[in-house]
Amino acid sequence: MLKEIIRFEFFYRKNRPATYIYFGILFLLCFAAVTSKYVTIGGIAGGQIKENSPYNLAFMTIIMTFFFTFIASAIMGVAVLRDFEHKTESLMFSTTMSKFDYLIGRFLGSFIIMVLIYCSIWLAFMTGYSIGKFLPWDPSWKEKEMLAFDAWSYFQPFIVWGISNLFIQGAIFFAAGALSRSTIVIYTQGIILFVLYQVSDTLLSDIDNKTLSAMLDPFGVRAFSIFTEYWTPAQKNSQIVPLGGVLLWNRLVWCGLALLILIGTYYSFSFNVVRNTLFKRKNKKEENIEKIKPELVKIPSAMQFSGFATSLSQMWTQARFYFRMVIREVPFIAIAFVGVVQIIVDSFYFDKMYGTSSYPITANVIGMLDGFDMFFLIIIVFYSGELIWKERISNIHLIIDATPVKDWVNLSAKFIGMMLINLSIMLLLILMGVLVQAAHGYFNFELSLYFKSMFTSTLSFVLLYTLLSFFVQVMSNNKFIGFAMMFVFFLVTFFLGAAGIQHPLFMFGSGRLGSYSDMNKFGHFVTSFSWLKLYWFSMVVVFFVLSVVLSVRGSESLMKTRLKVGKLRLTKPVLTFGIFALISTLLTGCYVFYNTNKINKYQTREEAEKEQVTYEQLLKKFEKLPQPKIVDVNLKVEIYPSTRDFTAEGYYWLKNKTDQPISDIHIQNDVEHKMKLDYLKFEGGAKANRKYEKQGYIIHTLNKPLASGDSVKMSFKTIFETKGFVAGTSNTNVVYNGTFFNNTYFPSIGYNNGYEIGEDDTRRKYKLKEKERMMEQNDPIGLSQSLFGDDADYIRFEMVIGTEKDQTAIAPGYLQKSWEEKGRKYFHYKMDVPMCNFYSIVSAKYKVKKDKWVAPDGKPVSLEIYYNKGHEYNLDKMMSSMKSSFDYFSKNFSPYQYRQMRIMEFPKYADFAQSFANTVPFSEGIGFIQKISDPDQDLDMPYYVTAHELGHQWWGHQVAEANVKGNAMLSETQAQYSALMVMKHAIKPAMMQKFLKYELDRYLRGRSSERKKEQPLNMVEGQGYIHYQKGSLAMFALQDYIGEDKVNLALRNFLKDWQYPGPDSKNKRYPTSNDLLGYFKAQTPDSLKNIITDMFETITLFENKTEKVEYKALKNKTYEVKITTSSEKFRADSSGNEKPIAINDWIDVGVYGEDIKGEPNLLYLQKHKVNKKANTFTIIVKEKPKKAGIDPINKLIDRHSDDNTKTAEVAEKGV
Amino acid sequence: MQLKITDLNKTYGNGVHALKDVNLTINQGMFGLLGPNGAGKSSLMRTIATLQEPDSGEIFLGDINVLTQKDEIRKTLGYLPQEFGVYPKVSAINLLNHIAVLKGITNATERKNIVEALLQKTNLWEARKKNLGGYSGGMKQRFGIAQALLAHPKLIIVDEPTAGLDPAERNRFLNLLSELGENTVVILSTHIVEDVKELCSDMAVFNKGEVLFKGSPDEALSGIAGKVWTKRIRKDELNEYKANFKVISEKLIGGNPVINVLADQNPDGTFSPIDADLEDVYFSKIFLQ
Repeated sequence: MLKEIIRFEFFYRKNRPATYIYFGILFLLCFAAVTSKYVTIGGIAGGQIKENSPYNLAFMTIIMTFFFTFIASAIMGVAVLRDFEHKTESLMFSTTMSKFDYLIGRFLGSFIIMVLIYCSIWLAFMTGYSIGKFLPWDPSWKEKEMLAFDAWSYFQPFIVWGISNLFIQGAIFFAAGALSRSTIVIYTQGIILFVLYQVSDTLLSDIDNKTLSAMLDPFGVRAFSIFTEYWTPAQKNSQIVPLGGVLLWNRLVWCGLALLILIGTYYSFSFNVVRNTLFKRKNKKEENIEKIKPELVKIPSAMQFSGFATSLSQMWTQARFYFRMVIREVPFIAIAFVGVVQIIVDSFYFDKMYGTSSYPITANVIGMLDGFDMFFLIIIVFYSGELIWKERISNIHLIIDATPVKDWVNLSAKFIGMMLINLSIMLLLILMGVLVQAAHGYFNFELSLYFKSMFTSTLSFVLLYTLLSFFVQVMSNNKFIGFAMMFVFFLVTFFLGAAGIQHPLFMFGSGRLGSYSDMNKFGHFVTSFSWLKLYWFSMVVVFFVLSVVLSVRGSESLMKTRLKVGKLRLTKPVLTFGIFALISTLLTGCYVFYNTNKINKYQTREEAEKEQVTYEQLLKKFEKLPQPKIVDVNLKVEIYPSTRDFTAEGYYWLKNKTDQPISDIHIQNDVEHKMKLDYLKFEGGAKANRKYEKQGYIIHTLNKPLASGDSVKMSFKTIFETKGFVAGTSNTNVVYNGTFFNNTYFPSIGYNNGYEIGEDDTRRKYKLKEKERMMEQNDPIGLSQSLFGDDADYIRFEMVIGTEKDQTAIAPGYLQKSWEEKGRKYFHYKMDVPMCNFYSIVSAKYKVKKDKWVAPDGKPVSLEIYYNKGHEYNLDKMMSSMKSSFDYFSKNFSPYQYRQMRIMEFPKYADFAQSFANTVPFSEGIGFIQKISDPDQDLDMPYYVTAHELGHQWWGHQVAEANVKGNAMLSETQAQYSALMVMKHAIKPAMMQKFLKYELDRYLRGRSSERKKEQPLNMVEGQGYIHYQKGSLAMFALQDYIGEDKVNLALRNFLKDWQYPGPDSKNKRYPTSNDLLGYFKAQTPDSLKNIITDMFETITLFENKTEKVEYKALKNKTYEVKITTSSEKFRADSSGNEKPIAINDWIDVGVYGEDIKGEPNLLYLQKHKVNKKANTFTIIVKEKPKKAGIDPINKLIDRHSDDNTKTAEVAEKGV
Repeated sequence: MQLKITDLNKTYGNGVHALKDVNLTINQGMFGLLGPNGAGKSSLMRTIATLQEPDSGEIFLGDINVLTQKDEIRKTLGYLPQEFGVYPKVSAINLLNHIAVLKGITNATERKNIVEALLQKTNLWEARKKNLGGYSGGMKQRFGIAQALLAHPKLIIVDEPTAGLDPAERNRFLNLLSELGENTVVILSTHIVEDVKELCSDMAVFNKGEVLFKGSPDEALSGIAGKVWTKRIRKDELNEYKANFKVISEKLIGGNPVINVLADQNPDGTFSPIDADLEDVYFSKIFLQ
């Protein structure tokens, strides 16, 4: 019997066209993904990771199970439901088959079909990669060398992830369909699965949650990512991801759960047609009223009204009717509930940095509430379908359609009903936001901000999608086709963007209000947002009019009839309204186009890339041409924040530092920010010899060549003008409040290789040679210029900034004078010592906090923080960080070179702080609003970031490094070290360990997604995960091994020799990382020299593990601990191929006890020589040991840092 | 007021010719539209009820053009479709109130009065707060008539209202219909001859999209008076009789077929005359088509 039912189900599906359509869609999608440039799945291939690597194949296979959810719900959900929908259940259940045969048969039959459909995926991958090169179009990997074909790398993920996911999804949907007997419950199921996935992502912002997060995701994507997070590109290209660790557990948990669900379904599935209701309805007692004799009842008269007022009141009644109907639907409540749960989970984790959250300021909470957008979409798509079909599903449509209601009333009522639903959710979200704030103990509810955000951005979003979805439902005239069309619409929008159609006029619903900044509010985004939304709104109104005209009323739904009836419905008011909306669409569209394409330049990504290619091809030849250097900058900058414009006028002095005369001076105008060079002239005259207009590159030939050692004054005026609004990302540097830009906006000297395309994959696309990221350490050109570029070594700096009256403008240097003139405010800054050619211009409405630090030599240094009102939270921490930093740095490195330090807050459009000479612009997003509720639990990020940036006053500003490989090890890594040392003396060791744990995690994850090649620290090529994260680890280990004093001595010596380097200095060049390593080596005893090799000069990884810890009590109240460990050491190449190397290192061995509070405290920590894999250490401690292990505080780079310690056990027999 | 249907034609996408040159003039009072299932009655009624478009032809109610002035017609229309559903989770009083608003009864008091009266009239008063999902077929049908009567329509169209009702329900229902005012055009479509016999002053027989007969039941009866003959035969004789005589209907009585035959005189002398009733009219019209 069972076999028969399986066969029946199988053949039923086999004969359904849908089965083949599913197969076809999946096949095409996957085929397109592997053979075209525009469609990608997962997006992890590229760079070093080959497209057909086992890792990418596995990842794509898992990602496809997401898409498959839709198909799984359609196939498995209805396996049983079908009988109820077609009302064949009575026929089925009265036959002789058993419940087991029926359920399992249906399940297995459908499951087999699902597996067969899913085969489309590996089939598409296989064919795609084998014939991709011969297709008429180019796959993205055309020019690349691919891996040899390996069938197992296609099948293994299919079996391990694919089939297991099908089983899990299948069981869940099958159960939902069989038990609820309702379609929408099946969809709700699907949503819950996605939310689990999302929640697992949220949890990850705390790295201690990795295991939990891996378990929670039903699709296994998270477990997969976590399991392979430290895999190097080489591993990803060569190894098949095994079913082990968290992956195995995830599969076991979810497959087990799926099995339980199936068993549960079997027991709770009722083989009766009529089910007992879950809740017994209470029988209400009807009060006995007097019997009415129907014959005697007279029907009273009632006035029948028509006209506009009646229509409005009809619309309102209906709208409320629909509203009440939907909000009582269980699936609606379930979807909304799930969305709310997700937000609650989010609220525990928002805006975390190194595990520390921010204050729940309203701007942040609003960002969090945006997480509900996905649920809005789901609700809109589902319930607009439900509402459009409400009458027809209930079969009451003929009655309703025959009532004297105007054609537009019904649809409008549904729309308003839908909007009432949306509005009530929005209000609920605001309430949630306030509750979240209150729960965090934060009571500054900016209600008006909530409303402003919800009723602009969110409201327009839901409104546009509601009307779109209405239109689609009306036109498709089939609910499910309507749903499918909406889904296809999302996909198409997504891929259109990838295919180069990115203009906002084509991206439905475009126009973002951007994230709200406390400083700049919604800023200039409001303008483009409003116009674009008006454009889309007019368009959907046109859609709506079309929907009204063409909607089905009555029993006929043929398009021909609808058009015929539609003509009648085009009454004058409807027609006028429609034409008005159409004209409005056209006009706003034109206005947007005028702004984005006429007064501003519009470029697709490809066009921009092509310009970069032209730039390189045309001008690369000038790259190494000797040019004079800027030695003096004197500018007057006029900032007009409210129109977002500025002008800069003044001069540079250029000095010929070469030994040859120079007659051609190459000037690069900043085309990236569309600067307009009003004039540029040289004292003594020059002729603009060649102009590359598009590239902004002009060659001036001086009337009199500049002799070696001579200088020439170059005056210019350059203009930044904001006109209307742009299509893509708008400029966020020059804004209403919180302008922050730097000297890259001003003319520079010579070719700028920063304009070239850097990414190798993109370069290959344009047939350009692969590009080295940086110059070699022995390149004389690289050694002759600093990280700040080849325009200058050191400059004299003077600047007058004018801005609006209520703003303060700040540049490096010391304020000479400030005055008001013509209603504007002016600030005159001057630097009294030479500084690097790197300066910022900042202007905003500021509050100031002032303090003072006195240098050891008695020189007072004024400390100032310019902040936005309301962001007072961490000012004291930043102030104290400044003082501690100056104390430490001036004592251990060298005296501070300036008399002032200013921190200036800027809007959160960027998340960084940056160190300029005696000034540090600091983003409002990273520290000003961080909440350190418990210094023993939360890392103090404002403290750390401040210390890091102050460190740069030494590492970068006192010693600028050569522009060659390894350069950031001198600035960023040393700034990290400086900050670490300041922190080390301020916080508990446990917190230091927490910080380093994040650094280790980020380093290991960073190297796993390296696109070109991983470099050792001393050869780092602008790779953040190396110069920041590995840098922290290496420097912390170094000071641990050779001592903090020794490291500081080395740095002091280095500074002595290399302070203010450059071609004009005693060393005649800028220093490299190897110069610094020399100073470190000088302080390192021979026995520890391998530290420098391992940490700085190579990529070395340890695998330390504690196998067993046993202890026994000795007579004299001491304990003997025996620790059995294993230690291995590996060396990796640039793509992550590892080979084991002999170990001969000093490694920490530690024993932990417990303090009075139950917190672990170190009883013993000593370095032991480890020169073989297996080791045993016997240690005597005075307190009872709790746990012990090797390298317990993770000073070495180790991918399994959690297995370094183990809980101590009492030895069974004597140790 | 008169409902005048002129040259109405409709062919569906699947080729079914639902209305063929239908010409009918319907006066105030109860008009019965008699025809077998699939005759095109519902198509005709939906067309009159503005829910469907004819391919050609015209319909006028008085001087309102039904096909173009849809809103005007809807104001005076009460329509009970052949098959209809309800929102299962809404109570009768709420839904009726809702439909009353849609009919344009915007004055709350008046609406309340008429809704309550209609619920009493249709004997749904006690069940008015019950969700419609729990209604029996008869109750639902009565709810249907209640909504059709909202706002005193001038044109009432009830499509197969008695199908599926038990005899008691059917009686109650027909009583309700018969109480409707004199100055209303009521079109009742049915395939049950009894319905027409009991209620209608005027009628048409309709099959395969064509009007086969139009007139009063009396006229219909007089047309075949004395021409219908009956006989009880054996089962195996049935085909032979069908071949030789105009057998307009057959039914089984006690297991043997009884046939009615149309003939000017006793066909072969073995038949007995019967008093023709509307059913015979109906069958004869269809037979003769």
